[in-house]
Amino acid sequence: MQQPSRSTNNSHQEAHQDHLPLGFLIFLLSESIVFVSFFVTYAILRLKSPHWFPDGVTGLDVSKAALNTAILIFSSVIIHFAESALKAGKVITFRRLWLFTVALGIIFLFGQALEWKDMPFGINAGPVGATFYLLTGFHGLHVLAGVILLLIMYIRSLAPGNYEAGHSGVSAASLFWHFVDIIWIILFLLLYIW
Amino acid sequence: MKLFNIILLALFVIVIIIASNYLGQQAYNWLPTPAALEAQPVGDLFSFLVTLGSLVFLGVLGMLLYSIVSFRAAKGDKSDAQPIKGNLTLEIVWTVIPLILVIWITSYSYNIYQKMNILGNLPIVHLHNPLEESAYAAENPQASETIEVTARQWSWSFYYPSSNITSSQLHLPLNQRVKLLLKSEDVIHGFFVPNFRIKQDIVPNRTIELRLTANRIGKYQLEDSQFSGTYFSLMKADVYVDSLDTYSKWLTQAKNQKPTLETNLAAAEHKRYITDPAHFHWPTVVPAN
Amino acid sequence: MTNIADSNQAHSKTHWREYFGFSTDHKVIGVQYLVTSFIFFLIGGLLAMIVRAELLTPQLDVVNRSLYNGLFTMHGTIMIFLWIFPANLGLANYLVPLMIGARDMAFPKLNAIAFWQIPIVGILLLLSFFLPSGTAQAGWWSYPPVSIQNPSGHLINGEFVWLLAIAISGVSSIMGGVNFVTTIIQMRAPGMTYFKMPVYVWTIFSAQLLQLFCLPALTGAAIMLLFDLSFGTDFFSPFKNGDPIIYQHLFWFYSHPAVYVMALPAFGVFSEVIPAFARKPLFGYKVVAVSSFIIAIVGTFVWAHHMFASATPNWMRIFFMASTMLVAVPTGVKVFAWVATLWKGKLHLDTPMLFCLGGIVMFLFAGITGVMMASAPFDIHVNNTYFVVGHFHYVVFGTVTMAIYGGIYFWFPKITGRMYIESWGKIHFWLTFLGANLNFFPMHPVGLQGMLRRVSSYDPQYTGWNIVASLGAFLLGMSTLPFVANIISSWLRGHKVGNNPWLASGLEWTVSSPPPVENFAEIPIVTREPYDYGEQISRVNSDLHSI
Repeated sequence: MQQPSRSTNNSHQEAHQDHLPLGFLIFLLSESIVFVSFFVTYAILRLKSPHWFPDGVTGLDVSKAALNTAILIFSSVIIHFAESALKAGKVITFRRLWLFTVALGIIFLFGQALEWKDMPFGINAGPVGATFYLLTGFHGLHVLAGVILLLIMYIRSLAPGNYEAGHSGVSAASLFWHFVDIIWIILFLLLYIW
Repeated sequence: MKLFNIILLALFVIVIIIASNYLGQQAYNWLPTPAALEAQPVGDLFSFLVTLGSLVFLGVLGMLLYSIVSFRAAKGDKSDAQPIKGNLTLEIVWTVIPLILVIWITSYSYNIYQKMNILGNLPIVHLHNPLEESAYAAENPQASETIEVTARQWSWSFYYPSSNITSSQLHLPLNQRVKLLLKSEDVIHGFFVPNFRIKQDIVPNRTIELRLTANRIGKYQLEDSQFSGTYFSLMKADVYVDSLDTYSKWLTQAKNQKPTLETNLAAAEHKRYITDPAHFHWPTVVPAN
Repeated sequence: MTNIADSNQAHSKTHWREYFGFSTDHKVIGVQYLVTSFIFFLIGGLLAMIVRAELLTPQLDVVNRSLYNGLFTMHGTIMIFLWIFPANLGLANYLVPLMIGARDMAFPKLNAIAFWQIPIVGILLLLSFFLPSGTAQAGWWSYPPVSIQNPSGHLINGEFVWLLAIAISGVSSIMGGVNFVTTIIQMRAPGMTYFKMPVYVWTIFSAQLLQLFCLPALTGAAIMLLFDLSFGTDFFSPFKNGDPIIYQHLFWFYSHPAVYVMALPAFGVFSEVIPAFARKPLFGYKVVAVSSFIIAIVGTFVWAHHMFASATPNWMRIFFMASTMLVAVPTGVKVFAWVATLWKGKLHLDTPMLFCLGGIVMFLFAGITGVMMASAPFDIHVNNTYFVVGHFHYVVFGTVTMAIYGGIYFWFPKITGRMYIESWGKIHFWLTFLGANLNFFPMHPVGLQGMLRRVSSYDPQYTGWNIVASLGAFLLGMSTLPFVANIISSWLRGHKVGNNPWLASGLEWTVSSPPPVENFAEIPIVTREPYDYGEQISRVNSDLHSI
C-alpha cells in the first residue's frame, strides 16, 4: 500500500496549479481532428470526381480569399504582440492590440460573407458545394467564436488587478486564435490553391 | 519442478493438442455445405483457426482453472502471498510466441485470400487511383457467363445479357466460372450466399464485379447481408446450381416464355400491412415491385 | 490542522440531495454517472428482451418491422453511449483523483457539465420513440444512404434526433477527455511517478486519449450526415458524386478505437481486483501498464476490418488484416499477466474476484473469435452475421459489463461506507455468467451457418440456437434483480466498514469509507510501489479517520 508519509509543510505545497493551458491545448488538438475529417472527405471526393466544379465554373476566386488569408495571418501577428505586451505588463498596449485583432477578425468574417454572397454555386451543388460551404462555414463559426472569446477577454481586462494571478485566459484565447488561423491556411491551400 | 508436475503438464499439453485437433476437424461441419470452389479454402482456413484458437483457449483456461483450484487461500487466512513481480523470460516468451502465431495466421490467411481470387471494387476513375484499384488478382480462368445482379429495396433481379433474360431466380451453371456484376438502385445492399462463402457489399452507382465457380448442384439462398431498411429481412432469392444440361434448358425456357415472377416477399408483406386497418407502423420506403 | 483531522468522520458529509443536483465533487459525479448509466442499462436491456422475444420464433410475430429496426438501433446506441461509456466514466471519475492522490479533477465544473449532458442524450433518444416518423432505424452505425432516406419527409425525424443525441454525447466525451488527461498529467501527488500509478489509471489515460483524438472523426461524419439528411447536401449521396464509403471510414476510424475506450477500463478493473484477491503483486506491472498505450496506438490503425466486405480494395484488406492481428499481442500479454498473478497466489473468490475471473474467461473467448475475424477470407463469410454479434457481446457484456459489476462490488464499500451482501453477490455472478453464455454463445454457430444480424425473421433452420439465446437473455434480465436488491439494501443498511475492508493496496484505501469531501487531510507523498502485496507491510482496516 502506498503509505503516505506526512509532512507538516504539505498544505503550503498545495498551491493551486493552473490547468487551463494544458487542458485548452488538448481541447484544440482534439477539435482539429474534426477539421481533419472534413479535409480528408474533401480530398477524397475531389480526387475521385471527374468534374469537380459545376459547368461554367473553372475554380474559386483565389485573389479575394488570398486577401482574407493575409488579414487573418496579420491578425495572428497582432495578437502575438498583444500577448507579449501583456507579459511585459503593458496593459494599455495589450488592450489596443487585442481590439485590433478583434477588428481584423470581423473584417475576415465580412470578407467570407461577401464571398458566399457571390459564389457561383450553392451548398446543394454536389460535393463541391457541400464541402466548400461546410468547411468555410465551420471555420467561420470558429472565427466568430474566437471574436466573442476575445471580446470577453477584453471586457475582463478592464477589471483592475485582473492579471494578478496570471493571464492563462488570454494565452488560451490567443492560442485559439492561432489555431483558427492555422486551420484557415490549410483550408486555403486545399480549397483555393489546389 | 517436481516430476509429478512435469508429467501432469505434459499430459495436459497432450490432451489439449488432441482436443484442438478434434475441434479443428469438427469445424468443417459447423459451416454450411460448401457449394463453390471458393468455399474449400475457407473451410481449411476456418479449421486451422479453430485448431489454433482452441489450443490457446484450452491452454490458458486450463492454467486459470488450475490456479483457482490449487491456490485457494485457507479459510480466514488474510495474509499475503509471495511477492512475485514478474519473470523476464516468461514475459518475452509470451510476447514472442503470440507474435509468431499471428504472423503465421496472417500469412496463411493471405495465401487463402489469393486463392479465393475474389474481385472487389472496379476502378471508377480513369486515372490510377490507389484508393480504388481493383481487388481482383488474376483474370484467369475466363468467365463463361456474365450475370447482372440488381439489388433494390427489397428484392433481387438477375439479368443474363447473353440471352436477354430477366429472372428473379439466380441460376448458375455447374463448375463454370461466372462473372456477377453487382448493382444497387438505391442503398447499400450485400450479396451473400452462405454456401459459397463469399459476400460483397453492393454500393449504389458502382458496378462491382464478383467471380465465382459453383461446384455443387442444389438450391441455395441469396440474402441481403448489409442492412438496407424496413423489409431487409425479406430480401432473399433462390439460387439454383444446375448441371449444364438443366442450365441450358432453363435458359431456353426463360427466353421463350415470360418467367413467373417469384413472390416479392417484401412487397407482399407491405401490401398486407397497408390494407390492414389494425396495423400501425412508422413511415417506410415502399418496396419496389 | 486539528480541525481538518477532526472533520474526517467515517460517514460521508455529502448530503443525499447533492446527488440530484449540480455537484462539482468528483465523487458525487462518479456516483451520478454510475446510477444514471445503470438505469439506461436496464432500459437498453429491456429493448433487448423485446428483440429476443421476437427472435424466439423464426417468423415476425411480436413487433412490426420498423419498430424492430428501431429497437435494435436504440438498444445498441443506448448500451454503448448511455451504459458502457458513462459507467466507465463513473468509476473513473470516482477513483482516478483518489488513486493519484488528488483532491478532485482538474476541471470540476466541466466535469459536472459533462455529466448532465448524459440524461439529456437519454431523454432525446427515448422521446424519439414517440415521433410520428419513429426512432432512427438504421442500426447504431447509421450508414448512408439508408439512414437518411427519411420516408416521412419531416425535418425533425428519428435520425435527426439520433444525430443530435450523438453530437451532445460527443461534446460530453471530449470534455471528459480533456479533464482526465489534464488531471492525470498534472495532478499526481508528489512521488507518484507514471510507473507508480495503478494500471487502472494507465487504462483510463489511454482510453481518454483515444476519445480525444478519434471521436472527432465521428463528430465530423455525423455533421456531414446531418447536412445530407436535413439540408440536401451530397457528401455521401452515391448518385450525385458523393461517397457513402467515406462515411464508413470516418465512422469506424472512431468506432473501432471506441471498443478500446470501452475495454481498457475493464482491463484496468481486472488489474486492480486480481492482485487484491490473490494477495500478490500484478505480474509484470510495467509491461501491463505500457500495453494499455500500445493497444490504444495499434488499435487506431485497424478500423477497416469492419469493412472487409465493403468496397475496399485488396491492399486495404491485407493491411488491416495484418494490423488487426497485431493488436492481439499486447492484449494477450495482459491476459497472461492476470493468469500469472493468480499463480501461486492466495485466492479469495469473493464476488469482485468472481466477476473478474468470469470476465477474463469470456474475454479469452472473445479475443480468439476476434483473431479469427481478423483473417479477411474468413471474415468475408461471417461479416454481418450473428458470429460478429456473438463476438462483440462477449466483449461488451462478457468482459466489460462483468468488469463494471466487479468494480462496483469492489469499490462499493469505499463509496458507500457499507459492505454488500456477499451471498447475493455470488448468486448474481452465477446467474449472470450462465445467462451471458447461454445468450451469446449460440450466436456463433448460427452465424457460421449464415444467419444475418439485424434480421427480424429468419430461416427455420436457425430456430434451436435462437431459442437457447432468447432463454439466456431472459435469464440475464432476471439476473439484475439480486444486484439491484443488494445494492439498494446494502447502501441503506449494510454493515459499516473501515477504510480498507479488502486490505488492498492503493491510495483510495488509505482514506475513510466513504472518503472525506476533500479526499485527503494532507496530500500524500508517495514512496511505495503499486501492488506491494507480500512486502510485509501492515495494512490496516481501521474505523478511524484517515492517517
